[in-house]
Amino acid sequence: MNENALHVTDLTAGYNETPVLHQVTFSVRPGEIRVILGGSGCGKTTLLKNIIGLEKPYGGQVELLGRDIHLLDTDERNRHFQRVGVLFQNGALLGSLTVEENVALPLRLHTTLPETIITEMVRMKLGLVNLEHAVHLFPSELSGGMKKRAALARAMIMDPEVLFCDEPSAGLDPLTGAELDALILKIRQLFSMTIIVVTHELMSIRTIADKVLMLAHGGVAFDGPLLEAQESDNPDIQQFFLRKPPGPNVATGPLSDILFTKSNQSE
Amino acid sequence: MNVLSEPVKSGHVTHTIVRSEHQLTVCLTGPLDRSSVPVLMSAIAPLQREQTAIVLDLAAVTTIDSAGIALLLNLCSKSGQARCSLLENSVSDYLRRAIELYSRTGHDRAPDLDARGFFERIGEQYVQRWASFSAFIYLAADCSVETFKGLFRKGMVRWNEVMTQTVLIGSQALPIVALIALLVGLTLAFQSAYQLRIFGADVFVAQMTGIAMVREMGPLMTAILVAGRSGSSIAAEIATMKVSEEVDALQVMGIDPRLYLAAPRVLAIVTMVPLLTVFAITVGILGGFIVGVFYVDLAPVSYLTQTIDSLVLKDLISSLLKSMVFAWGIGMIGLYYGFSVRGGAEEVGKATTTSVVVSIFYIIAMDCIFSIVFYVLI
Repeated sequence: MNENALHVTDLTAGYNETPVLHQVTFSVRPGEIRVILGGSGCGKTTLLKNIIGLEKPYGGQVELLGRDIHLLDTDERNRHFQRVGVLFQNGALLGSLTVEENVALPLRLHTTLPETIITEMVRMKLGLVNLEHAVHLFPSELSGGMKKRAALARAMIMDPEVLFCDEPSAGLDPLTGAELDALILKIRQLFSMTIIVVTHELMSIRTIADKVLMLAHGGVAFDGPLLEAQESDNPDIQQFFLRKPPGPNVATGPLSDILFTKSNQSE
Repeated sequence: MNVLSEPVKSGHVTHTIVRSEHQLTVCLTGPLDRSSVPVLMSAIAPLQREQTAIVLDLAAVTTIDSAGIALLLNLCSKSGQARCSLLENSVSDYLRRAIELYSRTGHDRAPDLDARGFFERIGEQYVQRWASFSAFIYLAADCSVETFKGLFRKGMVRWNEVMTQTVLIGSQALPIVALIALLVGLTLAFQSAYQLRIFGADVFVAQMTGIAMVREMGPLMTAILVAGRSGSSIAAEIATMKVSEEVDALQVMGIDPRLYLAAPRVLAIVTMVPLLTVFAITVGILGGFIVGVFYVDLAPVSYLTQTIDSLVLKDLISSLLKSMVFAWGIGMIGLYYGFSVRGGAEEVGKATTTSVVVSIFYIIAMDCIFSIVFYVLI
């Protein structure tokens, strides 16, 4: 059996029969914080959706906590996903339920815990994300950051072995973003949780990542430790970390050649 | 003397109870996780009723999850009555850090919502309803005035959009209006003929059906259909635009959403509903005609002559006026619930449903007022 928390082999995936990702292979070890990064439209969210079973890949395997999730039947998959937490980009809280009911939902559906313990656990998790005061509020009454924190509390309520976070600090102020990063590190340290984060926030990547997986041109451009990534001479990585715009450098590219040639001719 | 109970397995954890003169010590061994908590709670509950202090020995707890921590917090927070506490030296660094992580807040817990009294809740409801009603009046006045003003200014009303809405509200509703009006006309005629036959007056079925269709059933049924079909659509469309910030985008671009979004819908609904009403009345009378000719054996010309003779101009005027007022209300209610949405997709559904319910109430209430004004006061 595979010792990795997540092992993706030759994953080809996309939408409407158009592949976005080709033959993606990587592994995440237990207790690791892996950041999946890349420019907009490179397939980060597609990869995440295929890993958590929301989309079916065209080819390849996704082995999550020792099971190929695309081979599981519905019941098995539902049971398996009790060991996994997902923080969606916009929180995905259920609008008809209060924050407390949203966070307690997995416990009420999947466990036989007494109501007092459920209430205590919800309070604990909301305390962890500084949202104890918002238990009675509905998602429509929360700010963007509060929604994300409530969704994180819900993702962690079952003490998952693997936590997926889709753009956790997107849309948050730097202070809240930094708090969220600190929280992710603390959770990992204390509960040895494997955390897979999809983000392109540089500060966040530098704070939390053990390893990074860079996606570009429909495949893996880099897979390795953060320090190696920062020192890599891979142009995609350099562009990303040095925040250079994509495409050739205008000063040395063909456009400048044409401009200079024309100005020389006119002289 | 210490009395040692047999080790009992609760999920993954095993507990042993050691009784001494002054206290009960519950020794836990193994992982304290959510599979162990329900059984462990039921095991400890009877002990809490005893007048002895309970001490939890966690020295042999290997791992703990948040359900386990919740159990400890729950038991120890009731320590005042149950005298439950943790054996000090038994809490490892790992456990201490885990418990501390979850105990770091708690200073700003939410207030209890049920703390409000009965009269406070009634008062709050009253204030909220009054505020909603005032907001509706303001919005309706604004939309009506802006639409009216827009008619006289070049380029202010999007006539293409008015035409689109006219098709959606008017011509696309023709089949359902026709079907319902025909069935209502048939039913009215059958019921009238059956009742009138008792008195030998079944020849009056034409008058009964004609008057009922023109004065009541035509405008009422059309308005209710339009409320369900187009009023809800207006509310849902505007509400979706509101939650996706399209209305805000119009505002910051300096475009008045009341004129841009409301005017085409108001103009279309106010012109289309009276026309649909005339159509519904015609089809309803046709339904009565079928019953009159084939069931009561009236001559076709005689049926039509009796129908025309029974109606007066006031009936038609009141009917058309009524349908215009119904239409204006349906449009305004749809717009109000659309524009007043806050939040997400859930609120769009609520706004749509509420707009239909309120529209139907409005139609019935206005119908009653019109009946009093036209047939009692005038």
